[in-house]
Amino acid sequence: MNAATRMFMSPQGVVLIAALLFALVVGFINPNFLSLATVIDLLRNSLVTAIFALGVMMVLASGGIDVSFPAIGAFAMYTTMSLVLGVDFDVPIIALFVISAAIGASLGLVNGILIGGLGLPTLIVTLGTLSLFRGALLTFVGTTYITNVPRNVISFARTMIVRMENAVGQLASLPLSFVVLVGVTAFVAIIMNLTKFGRAIYAIGGSEEGARRIGIKVGRTKVLIYVIVGAIAGLAGMTHMTLSRMANPFDLVGMELNVIAAVVLGGARITGGHGTVTGTLLGALLITMINTSLLSAGVPSYWQRVVVGALIIIGTGLPIVIDRLAKRRERLAQAAV
Amino acid sequence: MAFGLKKLLMGAAAVSVLAGGVAITANAQDTREIVTVVKLSGIAWFNRMEEGVQQYAEATGNNATQVGAATADAALQVQLIEDLIARGVDAITVVPNSPQALEPVLARALENDIVVIGHEGATLQNVTYDLEAFDNAAYGEHLMEALAQKMGGEGEYAVFVGYLTSVTHNEWVDAAIAYQEANYPNMTLVGGKQESAEQQQTAYQKMRELLRTYPNLKGMQGSAGEDVVGAALAVEEAGLSDQVSIVGTSLPSVAGPYVETGEIDLISFWDPALAGYAMNVLAEKALNGETIETGADLGVEGYNEVRVDGKVIYGQAWVDVSADNLDEYDF
Repeated sequence: MNAATRMFMSPQGVVLIAALLFALVVGFINPNFLSLATVIDLLRNSLVTAIFALGVMMVLASGGIDVSFPAIGAFAMYTTMSLVLGVDFDVPIIALFVISAAIGASLGLVNGILIGGLGLPTLIVTLGTLSLFRGALLTFVGTTYITNVPRNVISFARTMIVRMENAVGQLASLPLSFVVLVGVTAFVAIIMNLTKFGRAIYAIGGSEEGARRIGIKVGRTKVLIYVIVGAIAGLAGMTHMTLSRMANPFDLVGMELNVIAAVVLGGARITGGHGTVTGTLLGALLITMINTSLLSAGVPSYWQRVVVGALIIIGTGLPIVIDRLAKRRERLAQAAV
Repeated sequence: MAFGLKKLLMGAAAVSVLAGGVAITANAQDTREIVTVVKLSGIAWFNRMEEGVQQYAEATGNNATQVGAATADAALQVQLIEDLIARGVDAITVVPNSPQALEPVLARALENDIVVIGHEGATLQNVTYDLEAFDNAAYGEHLMEALAQKMGGEGEYAVFVGYLTSVTHNEWVDAAIAYQEANYPNMTLVGGKQESAEQQQTAYQKMRELLRTYPNLKGMQGSAGEDVVGAALAVEEAGLSDQVSIVGTSLPSVAGPYVETGEIDLISFWDPALAGYAMNVLAEKALNGETIETGADLGVEGYNEVRVDGKVIYGQAWVDVSADNLDEYDF
């Protein structure tokens, strides 16, 4: 197998091809779709999903699953904004992100202690904390929308990195908060590929018992994973707030399945041990494209959900089928020798 | 332990019932005691309703008050109403968390000759009357009329609902579309009903996509409170503020900044203070043995000519807010 075929057979390759194919189909139906401005729109719309997805990828790689991250994001974002509105001076934007990440990390620590410390199943724990964090937010922090966000948040939201016109003369722009995604991407890429901690995550996901035997401190690693994922969720929540220019405590929860689908589309497996940063980012782009481009392709509202569901099943199923076929071919080839 | 606590609570309830009972017999001859039970207390919407209840109390001298639990819990609401029945109030007006859950306790209230007025509970059976701020179809037509005015009666428009399954939103939008077809043939609906999932960012994404697919889009009608906000953000970022008119249901506390800049042309809702006032008027009329018929005037703005359908009474109590009168509302 040469390098090119191997690349296309990899999960990232498959999701890239799927994304391009999908874009071509939509573009064929609606020529206005194929433009650089659409890519800008897509990047902007996938920001929050992509940041969340990078965190979830780490969890999936470790063999766990997390559904509590949107609640953590909403809690961290809304609590930060409530705190900031209570003080008299202007809090710099960077501080908003830092506070939100810190709150997110401490909520992540709760997950971490329950999962890594007590060894409870990840799905059960995070389902519980999803409800717990959301309930606590609405009960103790507040239920009202914060629309009078500080001036510097508005000007941050209006600062664009790129601004251009699309085919029909409308502006498409990429906001400054894109750098949050860039930063998180770099951070997760370094951790997963260049540190011992990252290797430990994959090892635990591959075989927890095996990892333990080679001397990896499984519990401690898991605690740290959930703390990091919590911090990333806090950043995603704050990014969401700057994009929407208001803090709504009811937002974000409900995104979890979309984000997990993005991560799985990107080649991570629910069973653990797999997952890459590139694949995850492509998965987030693809899922956003599927969710926001069906209208351009003329799919009626009622049908959009059907199409989204079908595409997710095909997108996540296809790589597994391809993988299985490749393995079988390998076995046959070996048998022939 | 649990039993002990419960007994203690029941004891306390009994004492308060006794105390309340004495107080009522003392002044029952001249003033009525009307209590409004809301979904939960402390949020802006029901604080506003309480203002209306207080205004009624001041204007009439009746003993009108409002109570609500700290959380929007159907069981807590049942308890509150049970306490009121035990206290022997004259009338209960209620905004139910779950209409079905309240039926048995409301039936008991009626058996005890207490007048029961519902609000936002058109399906309630065990009530004297249920008061609705407006008829959904009429409201949808009202929004479409406003949108058509802004659009000059022509061009492409889109409609948003929170969920394709939410009954009220679809009633508004269906009536609006039918009204447009009958009265504004030069307007065209594009893209079918958009689903925002009541999320501002989803509404934003859908609106961007609509603008890209239908570059001549001139109008948008929203249903969930977040719809118009997301659409306004999309229109602003696309630099199309002058081209697209936005009209829909929302609250000043949600859509305020965009109404102020004129990005959103008009938001509509009903004022809980007026609804609170009107519920009390209705309770008083029922206590006096009056029957309400279509065309009756409750003496409250928006409820001057009500329509009666069985036990349900409809007003035309929508309130339109644009940049001009935004500062009059704080919820």
